[in-house]
Parts: sequence; structure tokens; C-alpha cells
Amino acid sequence: MFQALTRDIRLYLRLIAMQVKAQMQYKVDLILDVLTYFLVTALEFATLLIYFVPFPTLLGWKMGEVALLGAVVSIGFGLAELFGGGIDNFEVIIRQGDFDRILLRPVTALMQVSTTQFRLRRFGRITQGLSAFGLALFFLRDAHLVWTPLKILALCLGVLSSALIFVSVLLLGATICFWTVETTELTNILTYGGREMLSYPLTIYHQLMQRLFVFIVPLAFGTYIPVCYVLGRALPFALPNWLAFSSPLIALFFALVALAFWRFGVHRYQSTGS
Amino acid sequence: MLRFYVEVARTAYRRQLIYRWANLAGLCTNVFFCIVLSSVLIALYHARPTVGSYNLRDALSYSWATQAMIMVVLPFGWVDLMLTIRTGEVVTDLSKPCDFFCYWCSRELGRAVYFLIFRGLPTYLAGLLIFQVELGAGWSIWPVFLLSLTLGTVTGVVFRILMNLAAFWMIEARSIVVFGLTIAQFFAGAFLPLVFFPAWLATLAAWLPFSGMMNGPAMVFLGKLGGPSLLREMLLQLAWLLVLTVLVRLLTKIATRRVVVQGG
Repeated sequence: MFQALTRDIRLYLRLIAMQVKAQMQYKVDLILDVLTYFLVTALEFATLLIYFVPFPTLLGWKMGEVALLGAVVSIGFGLAELFGGGIDNFEVIIRQGDFDRILLRPVTALMQVSTTQFRLRRFGRITQGLSAFGLALFFLRDAHLVWTPLKILALCLGVLSSALIFVSVLLLGATICFWTVETTELTNILTYGGREMLSYPLTIYHQLMQRLFVFIVPLAFGTYIPVCYVLGRALPFALPNWLAFSSPLIALFFALVALAFWRFGVHRYQSTGS
Repeated sequence: MLRFYVEVARTAYRRQLIYRWANLAGLCTNVFFCIVLSSVLIALYHARPTVGSYNLRDALSYSWATQAMIMVVLPFGWVDLMLTIRTGEVVTDLSKPCDFFCYWCSRELGRAVYFLIFRGLPTYLAGLLIFQVELGAGWSIWPVFLLSLTLGTVTGVVFRILMNLAAFWMIEARSIVVFGLTIAQFFAGAFLPLVFFPAWLATLAAWLPFSGMMNGPAMVFLGKLGGPSLLREMLLQLAWLLVLTVLVRLLTKIATRRVVVQGG
């Protein structure tokens, strides 16, 4: 069993490396792509900052705090985009009937789907997120923020967990493609909409939306809650502080649910037929 | 000849009618984003009642208006022309006995009419229902607003064509198109109201062609522009439209002087 796992990991890395090599062939295009993506995501972050030119606070949150939140969400989402690109693109595979071909190969379908569309340009968003994080720290320098190892741990766990949850949402969306042949807007709302929503403090939204992103699609556990813990703010719905470290478990649980639903979809798959 | 272009526009409009469900789905996403934007604005306005004559209701109406206009003026990721260049189909378009530029303009305007009726209006209607945004500053403003919107839309179409023309010189011009459209949307007020901009950024925005595309019509709609400033805004829109049109026609001429299509 362990051998199978190492074999799978090696295959995964090999498939990714193939695409990286292919994209490195067109260096100018790649640099332009990464730069463009960086600038586009930076523009979205700039919007966040410009809000604080006329307004001093956002419901009590200062610019540096919101910037930190935005940066954390960016990094998590960027990682999810990078590794979940193939899953996001699954509707094309289904529509073109390529899934039959995938099923015939002696490798798990999910492995094949998730190793396509690995685009290096997504590093543009990850770089933007990291720069934004640095910028946020600069804005927070007067805030007397005490950085403990626990806080750093909570943030790192949070970023990785939110990436996993985003990818799981993409997987859920891809499974729905088995029946709808097209990515539903619901998936886009949960991923892109979710990213936009979580870049701002959760408390500004309607109770229903807060509950959606805490209890149903628990993205808040990877982004808003660890940041609250770092900034010494109260968690939403009066949840206890230690939940800031629970993000990996919650992400794992959510991922297993998505995986189970995917397996169900593959099992019931009937090709589009000729 | 005009009859031909009207037919082109009508065909483009009719072609969009088929994608009913995709449009409905897109509408849901539009409305969701608007709700997020509105929540941010409501939270911001807790700290300050007005920003440069815009109170909360103004800012909300502005945001819903620009988001409603986005699919009409600057739809994200419009690469139709770029794709025809990449596949070589542009040669058949250039061989047609009609003006290349006018053909693409009428095609896009047909689409714009569709999106005005089936995306713009429903989006703003949702804003009316959920956030009680403004219904325009009086009945007399509507014809002026529609004129301003038309100018803005055509300018947006010409700008998008300009971005896509880059494909004549670069094989993968998609990043240029994406970047150009994002910058345009930013300076047209789609991300946040232009009135929030710091002074230096506002000056920059005033010198770019983008503010006339959506910010201008939005300001007209809210009645933020009085007599002389209204006229000035419309003249500025017209001026930029002419400048961009001249640029596009010039570039098309340079590009089509020698078109090399790959493939056998």
C-alpha cells in the first residue's frame, strides 16, 4: 500500500514536471503571463487599499488588518488555483468525451484530471499574495502586534487548509459536471465569490452568508478565523479561540466529503453516447 | 450598406438569445458580487456619512449601475476577434465586401443590446429590490443617460477591438487583452466608485479614456452632473471615441497590409 502511494506521488510529480517544462519553452509568453496575472491580482488588492483613503475603518477594522486578511486569502486561493487547475477545467474534459479515455487508463481518474492544466502563471497570484502580506505587515507596524510562534502556526495551517477547501469545492463542482456537462455558476460563486467575500471581515455580511462560509463551506476557518486569532479579535459566533488551529481537520473532513461525492459521480458515470 | 450592419447586429443579438441558462447563471454571479460589494460599502459608510457628495445610497446605486453595465460595455475576457486572428479566420472577414471595423462594431453592439436588456436591467432590478438603490435622478435624466451609455458602450467596443488587434503581432495576446480589460474596468469605476480615488489617481483617471465608458454614464444616471459639466462629460466621451476609432483603423490598416496566415 505504501508502495502504491509513493508510485502515485512520483507519477503526480512527473506529470506536473512535464507541463512545467512545456511552459518554460515559451519564456517570454510565460513571463508576460505571470506578470499580467500579478498585476491583475495586485489591482484587486489595490482596490481594497483605496477604500481606506476616504474611510478610516471598515466596521472597526483598520487598513493593515484588512490587508492581512486579503493577503492570506490570496495566497490560499492562489495555491488552490495552481493545484486545482485541472479540476476547474473538468467541464471541457466531460464535454469533449475525453473522460472515457481517462477511465481506460490504469491510473486513477482523479490523478489524471488534477495533473492537467498546471499553469505556472498562477504563481502571479501567489506572489501578489506574499507581497500583499509584506505590505500588510508594514501597515501593521504601529499596531503593536505581538507575533508568537502559535500565531504563525495558525496562519500557515489556515492558508494550507483554505487551499484544500477551495480545491475540494472545485472537485464538488467538477462532480456536478457529470450531470450538467457544464460548470455551474454555483461553483464559481463559491470559489471566486467566496474569495472576494473572505477578503473582507466576515462580520460585514448578512448572518446567512456568514453561516454559509463557516458551517457549510468552511472557508472562514482557513482565512478569517486564524486572522482573528492573530489580531487578537473575537471569533465569529463566539467560537472558542483554539478553533483557529482546527482548520486542517475541518479541511480534511470537507475534502473527504468531496472525494466521496466524486467517487459516487465516477461510479454512476454514463458517457454522453454517440 | 447600413441595412447590412443592422442585420449583423440583429444576428448577433439573436445568437445571444440562445444562451438563456448561461445568462441566468451569469446573472446570479453578478448579483452575488454586487451583494458582496454593497456589504463592503455599507460597512465603510459606518465611519463617514458622505464622500465627495456621494452618500451611502449614491455609492450603492453607483456600484449596482456599473456592475449592471459591465457586460454591456467591458465584458471580461472578450477575445472573439483575437481567436479569429489566431485561427486565420480573420482572412475571410477581411475579404468580405464590408468594412472590417464596422462589421465588428455592429456585431458587438448587437450583443450589447442583448446584455443591456437581459443582464443589465435584471441586475439593477435586483439592486432595487435588495438595497433600494436610486431609480435615476428624475424621469428627464433617462434619455440623457441612454445617450451617455451609448457613447460609453461604443467606446468600450472600440477599445476591446483595439486590445484584440494585438493578436496580429503576438501569438498569445490573451494576457494583453485580460490586462487591458482589467485596467479599463478599474478606471471605469467597476471595482469601486471613482469618487473614492485619491487626488493623484483621480487626475490620472481623468486623462484616460476609460472613465467615459461607465463612470460617466453612472454619474449622469445619479444626476451628479449639472448642465455645463454634463455637456463636458459627453464631449469628452465623444472625443475619446473618435481618438480610439482612429487608432483602431490605423492599426488595422498596418496589420492587414501584409497578413501571413500559418498553416496549409
